Amino acid sequence: MALFQLAADSDTAADNATLREENRRLRKVCQALMERVESGASPNSAPYAAFERSVLLAEQVRERTDALHRTLDELSQVNARLLAANAEAEAANLSKTKFLAAVSHDLLQPLNAARLFASALETHSLPEASQALVGHIGRSLKDVEGLLGTLVDISRLDAGVLHADKAPFAVSTLLDALAEEYRQVAAVRGLTLHYVPSSVLVESDLALLARVVRNFLSNAVRYTEHGHLLLGCRRRAKGLEIMVGDTGSGIPKLQRQAIFLEFRRANQSHSGHSRGLGLGLAIVDRISTMLDHPIMLDSRLGCGSLFSILVPYAPPSMAGDSYSARATPFHHWESDPLQGCVVWVIDDDPAITEGMQALLGSWGCRVRAAATVSALEAASDGERPAVLLVDYHLGEHRESGIDLASRLRRRYPGLATVVITANHEAALKRAAREAGMHCLLKPLKPLRLKMLLGTLLENHA
Amino acid sequence: MTTFQMNSGIATAASNQLNPCQAAWELAQQLGHEHLGFVLFFCSAEYPLDGLAAALGSAFNHVPMSGCTTAGEITPQGYDRGSVVAIGFDRRVFAIETALIDDLDHFDLSRAQPLVDTLLERCRQQAVAPVNEHSFALTLLDGLSSREEQVLATLDAALGRIPSFGGSAGDDNHLTHTHVYAEGSFHTRAAVVVMLNTRLPFEVFSTHHLEPLAHKLVVTEADRDQRRVLELNGLPAAEVYAALVACSVDALSPSIFAQHPLAVCIGGQHYIRSIQRVNNDASLTFYCAVETGIVLTAMKPAPLLSDLDAMLQRVQQRLGATPAIIGCDCFLRRMALESLQQLEQASALLRQARVVGFNTYGEQHHGMHVNQTFTGVAFGALPASGG
Repeated sequence: MALFQLAADSDTAADNATLREENRRLRKVCQALMERVESGASPNSAPYAAFERSVLLAEQVRERTDALHRTLDELSQVNARLLAANAEAEAANLSKTKFLAAVSHDLLQPLNAARLFASALETHSLPEASQALVGHIGRSLKDVEGLLGTLVDISRLDAGVLHADKAPFAVSTLLDALAEEYRQVAAVRGLTLHYVPSSVLVESDLALLARVVRNFLSNAVRYTEHGHLLLGCRRRAKGLEIMVGDTGSGIPKLQRQAIFLEFRRANQSHSGHSRGLGLGLAIVDRISTMLDHPIMLDSRLGCGSLFSILVPYAPPSMAGDSYSARATPFHHWESDPLQGCVVWVIDDDPAITEGMQALLGSWGCRVRAAATVSALEAASDGERPAVLLVDYHLGEHRESGIDLASRLRRRYPGLATVVITANHEAALKRAAREAGMHCLLKPLKPLRLKMLLGTLLENHA
Repeated sequence: MTTFQMNSGIATAASNQLNPCQAAWELAQQLGHEHLGFVLFFCSAEYPLDGLAAALGSAFNHVPMSGCTTAGEITPQGYDRGSVVAIGFDRRVFAIETALIDDLDHFDLSRAQPLVDTLLERCRQQAVAPVNEHSFALTLLDGLSSREEQVLATLDAALGRIPSFGGSAGDDNHLTHTHVYAEGSFHTRAAVVVMLNTRLPFEVFSTHHLEPLAHKLVVTEADRDQRRVLELNGLPAAEVYAALVACSVDALSPSIFAQHPLAVCIGGQHYIRSIQRVNNDASLTFYCAVETGIVLTAMKPAPLLSDLDAMLQRVQQRLGATPAIIGCDCFLRRMALESLQQLEQASALLRQARVVGFNTYGEQHHGMHVNQTFTGVAFGALPASGG
């Protein structure tokens, strides 16, 4: 270090005076430094000490600021990574949804045909062993259909393509049929179903609400070992509470949120009867949000659970003025109006037309099925059809099933029409309803088709 | 007469009229508008100060003002002398409150804290922007008071996290009378604290262009109250310094001091201790506090222009085009530029970055009193409304 460079030149002289002088200066320097070092630690108000403190303080502030900046940088990097991961997850979710929707749709078509064939086969007189096998095939297909329907529903709900189509209807329209259906399902499991009918008018989306109550009922059956189920309504200030109760094992408090998530099931699942995906209540939750109908759950461990949904009342002016309210209970068709009636089927899929021919034929209908109106009329010998079943989507570059039906109905006024579609959009259902037609969704359920045909033909008669 | 105005809540103007009334009138012409909330000005010490105070008061119709005398002005056109430069603040964008400290000797924390609290509270009431993170303090001190360090350290303690910067008033290198302006008149042995609370983004900065050499000098005797160093390395200070810079004691001048500064090193950073003058007893008087036992490092200047340019670029990279920068530029830097004949080039850089300000007898940065720096605040553009 060049601290004493100035003295170095004279150092060569090396006379005593110079050394003494240097010694004096060194001592002075040492003394000054010692003074400084010793006063450095004491808190005094000398100007330089104040400056030094400010510098050190500023230094600390700078260090802290740097640390803060580093932390902020890291945070923003983490944030960016999270955003990217989130975008990826959303994209994956979206593609999953699209994939599910596409796959389910493509599966529904052949499944629909298989179900029709199986139903037709059951009516044939077969050896007992074969009859049992056909029964198994039918039930298996039904299970597949149920699972697939669940997947379609959840993917549609997630994709946001499902829209509520609210209309006023008597709650009995919905519950009578469900009670009938689940009384049988419950009986198979050795349970009894108590049904308390109600004719209150509510406003909701019939199909979506049916899905909710159906899921409640399926769950009740699934999780009840013995005892009974309850289906009924209670009038509340804000709407009608439709409830499903059971005498099952109950749901612990901690699980009451979780069971509404996908792929979750309450702990106890019954072997041999757990053919579910754990999507039932997740669907219920989504539909409830979509319809804005609150869901309630009350449960006591070891005593049972009570699921309910609160549905708003229909506005009074609408009462008795809707197509749904007109729908009459279908449980007295002993006289079998289907026998010998003429049913026209238009579908561009030959497997479906064949299947329908077999199914409807087995119910005693006289079926004319074809891909086009002209082919149909050529085959019908000028017969007047009683019911028209038409596929909505008749292939590209062709008019829709509704347009075709409208055209036909000008020639055959009052022709009862059922539009069949795999498209679950509310707009389509509404269009059909406005045209005075009925709408059934694929996969077609033979029992439901039969009941609807019965009703249509009775009204017609 | 020069003017520079932008729709940013800040307008700047300058006048080189010698007559105080005309100068004040020219500034008012350029800056006056219905939302003018505050005026900050820097004026040459050549003006008759009482006359200027009165003229400014009436020209601006008693809009609150603060300012100080200079050792040279930075106008919207660059370096100038014998002029007055002013900055007008829009009250819709700025809440500005000032306080005068007229007793520098007894300014302790018990006075500093209420002073800062009052300033912040008054700003808060104007509801221009949140006070935290959107405020900074500007300090203007009498440059010959020798009280900067204590006042600043105390004020900084009271300000806490609020950034601060400022300059010591000058008097065109006469070293006789420096003044700060507040509450309608000029004051000596006083300081002004201006609290600025604003919606504009801003950044307080400081830069210098000096690099350390290997030479070290130990202050072996000092008079802290007079900021005088009597001995370096046990010998008369002026002689040691003259030998270091290789010239005779008689030849020592401010321009030599500017080119051969000394610095103290604290925590790895060098802080310039500028020499003010040589005294008859061969002692050196400094512009800042000195103490027996401190070690001074010889410094050498690096190119000033490129350092200034780099600093202005950095600030504008972070803030975008700056509507205005208020700069406190050590008069020794200006002197160095003059001797290198680079004043015009520096003026061009300052003009482009829209810097206004003044040449100081010392700068203040986060409570530190420093020398030979360019210290100030840069403003960014007003964020899009509703954003």
